[in-house]
Amino acid sequence: MNPPGPLGVLEEKEEEHLSTPILGPSIHSDNPQERIQARRLRIAARLEARRREALGEYLDGKKESEEDQRKSYKQKEESRLKLAKLLLCGTELVTNIQVATDIREIHRRVEEEEIKRQRLEKLENEVKTSQDKFDEITAKWEVGKQKRIPQDLWDMLNTQQVHCAGLIEDKNKLISELQQELKIKDDQYVKDLKKQSDDICLLLERMEEQVKHVMKTFRQELNYIEKAFEIERQELLTSNKKKWERALQAHNAKELEYLMNRIKKAEDYEKQLNRQRMWDWEEYNMIKIKLEQDVQVLEQQLQQMKATYQLNQEKLEYNFQVLKKRDEESTVIKSQQKRKINRLHDTLNNLRSKYAKQIKQFQEENQSLTSDYKRLVMQFKELQKAMRHFALIDDKQFREIWLMNEEEAKDLISRAFDVDRIIHTHHLGLPWTAPDFWFLRNVGPISQQPQKSATQIVEEVLMQAEEEGTEEAASEAESYLDLPRQISPKTTRKILMLLCDESGFLVESKLLSLLLPLEKNECYLLRLDAIFSALGIESEDDLYKLVNFFLKYRVYHSPSSQEQTSLLSALEPGEQPDLEGQKEESLVEGEPEEKEAPPSPRLIHPNDVLKILEAFVMGLKKPRDSRAPVKLKYVRDNSKDSAYWEALTTVIPDTTQNLWDALYTALEKYHLILTQRAKLLIENNSLEQQNTELQMLLQKYLDSKINSELQVPPTQVFRVPTK
Amino acid sequence: MQETLATSTLLAPSRSSISTQERFSTAGQTSSTGPQPSRLSIIPPPSKSKGWNSGTKVRRMRRIIAEDPEWSLAIVPLLTELCIQHIVKNFQNNPILKQLLPEHQQKVLSHLSPELPLAVTANLIDDESYWRRCCLQRWPVCHVARHGGSWKRLFFERHLENLIKHFIPGTTDPAVLLDLLPLCRSYVRRLCVHQLLPPVQPPAPPRSGELSDSGSEGETEEPATDHYQLRDLVAGLSHLEELDLVYGVKDCGMNFEGNLFLFTYRDCHSLAATIKACHTLKIFRLTRSKVDDDKARILIRSLLDHPALEELDLSHNLIADRGARAAAKLLSHSRLRVLNLANNQVRAPGAQSLAHALAHNTNLISLNLRLNCIEDEGGQALAHALQTNKCLTTLHLGGNELSEPTATLLSQVLSVNTTLTSINLSCNHIGLDGGKQLLEGMLDNKTLLEFDLRLSDVAQESEYLIGQALCANREAARQRTLNPGHFMSPIVAKGPENPAR
Repeated sequence: MNPPGPLGVLEEKEEEHLSTPILGPSIHSDNPQERIQARRLRIAARLEARRREALGEYLDGKKESEEDQRKSYKQKEESRLKLAKLLLCGTELVTNIQVATDIREIHRRVEEEEIKRQRLEKLENEVKTSQDKFDEITAKWEVGKQKRIPQDLWDMLNTQQVHCAGLIEDKNKLISELQQELKIKDDQYVKDLKKQSDDICLLLERMEEQVKHVMKTFRQELNYIEKAFEIERQELLTSNKKKWERALQAHNAKELEYLMNRIKKAEDYEKQLNRQRMWDWEEYNMIKIKLEQDVQVLEQQLQQMKATYQLNQEKLEYNFQVLKKRDEESTVIKSQQKRKINRLHDTLNNLRSKYAKQIKQFQEENQSLTSDYKRLVMQFKELQKAMRHFALIDDKQFREIWLMNEEEAKDLISRAFDVDRIIHTHHLGLPWTAPDFWFLRNVGPISQQPQKSATQIVEEVLMQAEEEGTEEAASEAESYLDLPRQISPKTTRKILMLLCDESGFLVESKLLSLLLPLEKNECYLLRLDAIFSALGIESEDDLYKLVNFFLKYRVYHSPSSQEQTSLLSALEPGEQPDLEGQKEESLVEGEPEEKEAPPSPRLIHPNDVLKILEAFVMGLKKPRDSRAPVKLKYVRDNSKDSAYWEALTTVIPDTTQNLWDALYTALEKYHLILTQRAKLLIENNSLEQQNTELQMLLQKYLDSKINSELQVPPTQVFRVPTK
Repeated sequence: MQETLATSTLLAPSRSSISTQERFSTAGQTSSTGPQPSRLSIIPPPSKSKGWNSGTKVRRMRRIIAEDPEWSLAIVPLLTELCIQHIVKNFQNNPILKQLLPEHQQKVLSHLSPELPLAVTANLIDDESYWRRCCLQRWPVCHVARHGGSWKRLFFERHLENLIKHFIPGTTDPAVLLDLLPLCRSYVRRLCVHQLLPPVQPPAPPRSGELSDSGSEGETEEPATDHYQLRDLVAGLSHLEELDLVYGVKDCGMNFEGNLFLFTYRDCHSLAATIKACHTLKIFRLTRSKVDDDKARILIRSLLDHPALEELDLSHNLIADRGARAAAKLLSHSRLRVLNLANNQVRAPGAQSLAHALAHNTNLISLNLRLNCIEDEGGQALAHALQTNKCLTTLHLGGNELSEPTATLLSQVLSVNTTLTSINLSCNHIGLDGGKQLLEGMLDNKTLLEFDLRLSDVAQESEYLIGQALCANREAARQRTLNPGHFMSPIVAKGPENPAR
C-alpha cells in the first residue's frame, strides 16, 4: 500500500518542471527580483498543488485514487523488482570471476601443498642418503689412514674420489631438478600474469557491459514510469479540469448573485447613510449648543474657583504664620518640658531614696509592731487569765445576784401570797391554802444543777441498778428522765459492764491490784473511771454518745461483724445524727418501749467492743480538737432562766388574778361611789355656804339707795324671792 | 554585462561629466602614446572594438573632436579590474586575497593559474573551484566523493600520495615531504599509498642474473631495504583518519624480484610506533605486504586500546594462527568494528581464538576470513560464537574448506540470530546435505539479506530456495525501512526510488 504522498510530490515536480519555463520568471535568471518571484511562484504552485491534491482526494473517493495509484505504483514496483534482479544478477556475474579465482587459488594451494610435501620428502630422503654416503666416505678416510701401502691408498683415494663425484653428481642433479621446477614456476608465473590480465579484462568487460545494460534498463524503466505518471497525470488533469470548469460555472453564477445583492445592499446603505448623516448633523448641533453652555458654566466656575483659591491662599498664609508662631512656642515649651523632665528625674531620685528610707522605716516599724504584737499576745493571754478570773467572779456575782433577786422575788411572792391570803380570808371569806411549786424551793442558778461528770452518772447508774428492784419507777421519773433518752439505764449499765470487762487493758495494773479488795460496784466504778480518762470521755454527753455509738454500731453492723473496714464511714453518719437524733427523739418519744426491745447488749459480741471503741475514739477526736477551746469555758444555759423567772412571776395563777382584777374593779367602783359621795357632800356644803353669801349680798343690794332712784326698781321686775 | 549597463545608465543624464572625462582621456593619450595602446590592446574589447579603433584613428587625425557619438566608457577597463589583473599577475610574489571584497576575490580566484606554488596557495585559498581546476589539470580521473567531497582535500591527499609513492629512500630528499607538511597538515585525512619503493641498490642489476645467490644476499642486505619511515609525516598530519599502505612495488610486471616486496622488521617497528602515536586514526589497512605472524603481533600490540581505531584490514598477507590470536585479543581490547583477514593462512586454532573473542564482543560488525583455511573446526567454533553474539552483521567465510558439520551448526545459528545480514560461504565443500540444512535454517530466519553459496557443491534447488527466502527478507527489510517514515511524505517519496536505482 503506497500512500498518496509520493505520488502527489512527484506530480508536483513534474508540474513544476512544466510550468516554470512557461510562466516566464525563471529561477536561473540573472535578475534577483525575477528569481525571487520565480521562487515565490514555485512555492505558491507547490502549496496549490498540495491543496488541490488534498481536495481531490477528498472529492474523488478512495477507490478511484487507489486505482490510479495502482497503475503507477505497479509500474514502479515492477521496474524496481526488475532492476533489483538485474543488479543482483550483474553483481553475481561480476563476482563470479572473483569466486572462480578464489577456487582456483584454493586448488592451486592444495596442489602446491602436495607438491611441497613431496618435495620436502624427496629432499629429506636425499639428505638421508647423501648423509649415509658422506658417512661412508668419512669412515673410509679413517680406514685409509691405516693403509700403509701406497697402491692401496691410491686405489682407495680413487674410489673415494669416485664416491665424492657420485655424491656431488647427486646433489647437482637435485639442484638441476629444483631449478627446472623453478623455471616451470617462472613460466607459470608468466601464465598466471597473463591469466590475471585476462581475468581483469573480462571483469572490466563485464562491468562495462553491466553498466551499459543497467543504464539502458534504468532509462527504459524510467521511461515506463514517466509514461505511467504521464497517463495518470493526464487523467487527473482532465478530471480536474472538468471539476474546475464546473466549479467556475458555479462560481460565476454565485458571483452574479452576489453582485446583485451587493448593488441592492449598496443602495440601502446609501439611504441609511443619508439618514444617519442628517441625524448626526442635528445631534451635532445640539451637542454643540450644550457644550457651549457647559463651557460658559465652567468658566464661571473657574472664576469662582479662582476667587476661592485666592481666599484660600491668604488663609493658608495666615495659617502658616500662626503655625510658625506656634512652632516657636512649641520649641519654648519643649525646652520647658525638658527642664521639667530633669526636675522630675531629680524628684524621682529623691523619691527613690525616700522610698528606700521608708522601706527601712517600715521594716523597723514592722519589727516594732511584731514586738507589739507579741506584747499584745501576752497581754491577751493575761487578759484571758483575767477574764477567766473575772468569769469566776462573774459566776459568783451572778450567783449572788441571782440569790438576791430570788430572795426579793420570794419576798414579793410571799407578800403576794399574804395579800392573797388576806383577800381570801378577809374579803372573800374563803379558806386559803398556800400553793406549793418546785421553783419556790429552788435556791441559786438553775443550770448548775444537772451538770455532772461521767463518773457520777456511772455511779448513779450503778447505784440505781442496785436499787432497781425496789424503786424502779421513781428513779426513772426523777433524775434520769432526760439522761439516756431512749436507752434504758439497764442497757446502759450492761454496755458499761461489757466495756469495763473488755477494755481492762486501759486500766493501769496498779489500780487493778488496788481494786481487788473492793466491792463489785466500786470496782466497776473505778475501772470505768480509769477507762474514761484513757478514752477522753469527760462529760455526760460523751458518755451518751458512747452508748449510742455502741447501739448504732450494733444496728449497722450486727449482721456482718466482719466488715470493720467501713467503721469510719459508719461513724461519720453516726455523728451527724447526733443532732438529728434529738429531733427524732422528740418525735419518737411517745413509744420508748419499741426501741428498747432490740438493743440488747447480749447481741454485741465482746470481740467487737475493741473495734467499736477504736472507731469511737477516731470519731471523737475530730470534734474534740475543734471544740477544745470552746468547751473549756462552759457557757451557761440561759434558756431555763427565763422560764424560771417566768414561773416565778406566775406564782399567782390567772384565776386569782382575774379574781383580783374583778375585785379591784368592784372595789374601784365602790371607791368611786364613795368618793362621789364625798365630793357631793363637799359640794353641798359649799353650795350652802354660797347661798348664804349670795343672800347676804342681795340683801345688801336691795337695801341700797340706788334702787329707789331708778324708774323701775328691780324690785318691781322680779319678785324677790321670799323665803 | 551588468557593469556596462550601470555605467551607461549613469552617464546618460549627465553630459557635462562626459566632457571632462573626455578631456582627461585625450590628455592621457597625448602624453603617453607608447604604452597606452599596447595596454589597451591586451584587454579584450568586448563588442565595440572595431568602432573604437576607428575612433582612435579619427582622433589621431584630428586634434580637436567636438563629440564622438560612438564613444562609450564600457571599452575603458575599470580600475578594479586592472587591479585584479595586477594581483593575479603578481600573486606569486604578493598574494592579496583576504583583503578583497567577495566578488573581487571570486574574480581573482577564477583567473589564478593552477601552477602556482603550493606554499602560496595552500593555506590562502579555500575556494573549491580553484582546487578543482588544479586537480583536473593534474589527474584525468578524480573521485571527489572518496575524499569527503572536497577538491582541496583531494588535491593534497593525492599530491602527498604521489610524492610518497615515488619516494626512494636514500636518494630522494626527505625534506621534500616534510616541507609539504605544514601546507597540507589540516587537509589530509586519508593516506592511501599503494606503493612504497625500496632503496635503490647499486649491486642490484648484476645480482639479478645470479639466481643461486639471491636468497642469501637478500637476507644479509635486508636492513638496507627499509622503506620510507612514515613516522614524521604521520605525526605531522593532525587530522589523519585513514591509512592505507602496501609495502610493495606496483606494475613491476616481468621485472619481478623477491626483495621488492620485503616488509622488514625495522619497517614494522616504525610503522607500529607511527600508528600508536596517531590517535586520530580510524581505519588502518596494510595489505599485500608479506606481514607474517611476528610482524602482525608487533603491529597489533601497538594497536591495543587505541582510542579511535574502527577498521583493521590485514588482508593478502601471511598471517597464521598466532597472528589471528593477536587479532582476537585486539577484538576485546579495542572498539574495532571491521576486521579483514582475507587471504591469509589462518587455520583452525586461529579461527577458534577469534570465535572465542567474538562470542562476547559487542563492537565488531564485519569479519572477513576469505581464503583462509579454518576448516570445520574453526567454522564450528565461529558458529557457536555466533549463537551468543548480538552484533556481527557481515561474515565472509569463502574458500575455507568448510563442509557439512559447519553448515549444520550455521543453520542452527540462522534460526536464532537476528543481527546477521550477510554471510558468504562460497568456494567451500558444503555438500548437498549441508545445503539442505542451511535451507532449513534459512526458512526460520527473517533478517539475512545476502547468502552466497556459489561453488560450494550445494544442490541447485536448495540454492534457489535460499535465494527466494533472501528475496522475501529483502522485501521485509525494505518495508521496515519505509514504515518508520510513513508519515513524512518526502522520505516515502524517496524510499521506493532508492532501491530501484
